[in-house]
Amino acid sequence: MINVVVVGGGWAGCAAALAAAKAGAQVVLLERTDLLLGTGLVGGIFRNNGRFTAAEEAIAMGGGDLFVAMDANSRHRGIHFPGHSHASFYDVTTMEPLVKKILQNYGIDVRSRTRVANVVKYRKKIQYLVNDNDEIIQGDAFVDTTGTSGPMGNCLKYGNGCAMCILRCPTFGPRVSITAKADVKEIIGKKADGSYGAMSGSCKINKDSLRPELKDQLEKEGMVVIPLPENLKKTGMLGKKACSQYAIADYAENIVLIDTGHAKLMTPFFPLDALRTIPGLERARYEDPYSGGVGNSIRYLGMAPCSHSLKVDGVDNLFCAGEKAGIMVGHTEAVVTGLLAGHNAVRCCLDMQYLELPSELAAGDFIAFIHEQMTTEEGLRLRYTFSGSVYFERMKKLELYSSQRGEVNDRVTKTNLTDIYNTCLV
Amino acid sequence: MLNKLLMSCIDINSPYCPCLLSQTNHCTFCSHLKGELVCDCNWSGVCILYEKQWQQKKPRWTNDADSPVRLESDTEFIIKQKIAEHTYLLEIEVLPALAQSLAKCGSFIFMRRPSDQQFYHFPVGVMKVDGNNIQVVIEGAGPKSSRLFTDGNRQVLVRGPYFNGIFGQPWIDNVDNGKILLIAGGMGQPPAVPIARKLLTNGNSVKAILAPGKIGTVFIAAELAVLGIQVQEVTSMRQFGMHALAEILADPEACPELIVSAGPDSQHYGIIAAMQAAGVNLPMAATNNTTMCCGEGICGSCERLTRNNSRVRTCKVQADFSQFIQE
Repeated sequence: MINVVVVGGGWAGCAAALAAAKAGAQVVLLERTDLLLGTGLVGGIFRNNGRFTAAEEAIAMGGGDLFVAMDANSRHRGIHFPGHSHASFYDVTTMEPLVKKILQNYGIDVRSRTRVANVVKYRKKIQYLVNDNDEIIQGDAFVDTTGTSGPMGNCLKYGNGCAMCILRCPTFGPRVSITAKADVKEIIGKKADGSYGAMSGSCKINKDSLRPELKDQLEKEGMVVIPLPENLKKTGMLGKKACSQYAIADYAENIVLIDTGHAKLMTPFFPLDALRTIPGLERARYEDPYSGGVGNSIRYLGMAPCSHSLKVDGVDNLFCAGEKAGIMVGHTEAVVTGLLAGHNAVRCCLDMQYLELPSELAAGDFIAFIHEQMTTEEGLRLRYTFSGSVYFERMKKLELYSSQRGEVNDRVTKTNLTDIYNTCLV
Repeated sequence: MLNKLLMSCIDINSPYCPCLLSQTNHCTFCSHLKGELVCDCNWSGVCILYEKQWQQKKPRWTNDADSPVRLESDTEFIIKQKIAEHTYLLEIEVLPALAQSLAKCGSFIFMRRPSDQQFYHFPVGVMKVDGNNIQVVIEGAGPKSSRLFTDGNRQVLVRGPYFNGIFGQPWIDNVDNGKILLIAGGMGQPPAVPIARKLLTNGNSVKAILAPGKIGTVFIAAELAVLGIQVQEVTSMRQFGMHALAEILADPEACPELIVSAGPDSQHYGIIAAMQAAGVNLPMAATNNTTMCCGEGICGSCERLTRNNSRVRTCKVQADFSQFIQE
């Protein structure tokens, strides 16, 4: 019996747990809070731009369960909003229990309210994890999907303080990096101005606090663009954002609201008094983070140095995915890397050669490109995503971008990776 | 859980945290306040960096050399009892707030004559708090403590509260309905009293072995017996006390869940040796006997080295006594 332990129940952790279970392992998924999906609970946008290609690749490779679930739970499909085409918006208010069910159906032991506090290593292998009740969690291979925010002190030092975001550190305790606890020196990302970290790029407004006709329009069309009054136009905030695909001029001129169950506002934070001067938002209040008028969570403060197979450098049985694995943004990116890390964790236990995704696939090129970028000072100041910014430009240039399911399937077939994630290795 | 608490600062979540150490990146707990780049603390339930931001304006952080860091009472003491030559039980009336904050085992104060310089003050464990009165036992041994009694002086300046008088405080706080062995010798007797009271409130059954130690008298036996503790008096801890301990450790029926050692370091080490000889490894709480000058983690006089080569400022930081390197 092969035991894989995944730490962190965000989209990356859920995908890693799923892939490891499909490959034949006994999987334990440890989550610090009482909800899965992590910052994906404030997400919602997928299949926009190159994410369509990446999602279809994952489906063709047999790791589509989570994308199928998102599709089934979408509020809107095929939406165009500034800079983005054919986007779908899953409903953040109902997504979590659905994902939990899927994982449990695969026999994954999902343990919520379990905060890992320490790692015990012998030579270059992790022997076991210790939670903050001093209980031991053993495994043969481990996947670190703990994200890159760390505890709330980081948000204070590099941001505007704790904004009471979905991470809920004061309640459930600080996030701990498995990689850091295993004595691996982590990489720190930077903002455009060279300061450390980046602020999460969106917040949620309670839909019922919008003017009724604005709410109706939002629910009908999936998104609304509202031009900003002259005095509120500012471009300084964009450089602080984690999600550079939305750091475009359109977002400095307008506010963009997206219907993900709440009204998603595509800006890290927006002072409430100023927000309420915008027509239709006179009574707006924030849903997530609660203090969205002041700030948001800070990210990219601890990324694991890792290979293209997503094995963490310097530890023989530790893999990573999502933001932990590189300066990437979004849950499509998290799921794609999560699948690979979980799958390779099983290969690690079987002494098999690790899977690396070839550069003929968007996901393969993406991982290799980020790792290359992270070796440079300029590269550490950018964010990478299939949905925009630097990487989407590259995708188009290399002709990796496709919004045709058949075309993506053919590519995956050519690389002999069809249904690879559906293959039981044990 | 307890092991986690064992290496944390006793002042966390008190009005005295964050302290002066956080001003210069020497906090013993918070990585940011040690000058590191990112969070890496052993979560205690509060974020010290946050506390520092919100409590920034503390009067005690002004640059006035004379402003007190903790509470101070300029008051008089009464000698309640002469326990031995040069050893007295004193009663002191202090500020209500100070008395209240000392009603916790492990609490201690600093005392000096109000007219003397700062460097005369010395630490004393609190034996009892009764209303606004506190009781302490003092052996007038060195230049500081003797000063208190010269020329018939009765004036005293009391500064407190300080909390780290016992290593292994979390065990004492969290053990319930267990068997406890309390070993107290000489000047370890006064702090043993509040420890015994605390253990009894948690429904533990306590057995005590008492020895006169260097001061030559056992003076808490009656008080412990009244509390319902089974007291065994021995004339010498080294000769007879350790022998009694060995018998207890050898008997699985009598073996306690926790040993509390109140006395000199030689007694603590004797108990550790007895446990090793008996092949048992029990948690042990032990009185903190390190030399202290400031009590605020600044001066370093109380620093001790542990087996994993970390230096612990024992006036503030909890630790497992058995982890200290024997000096």
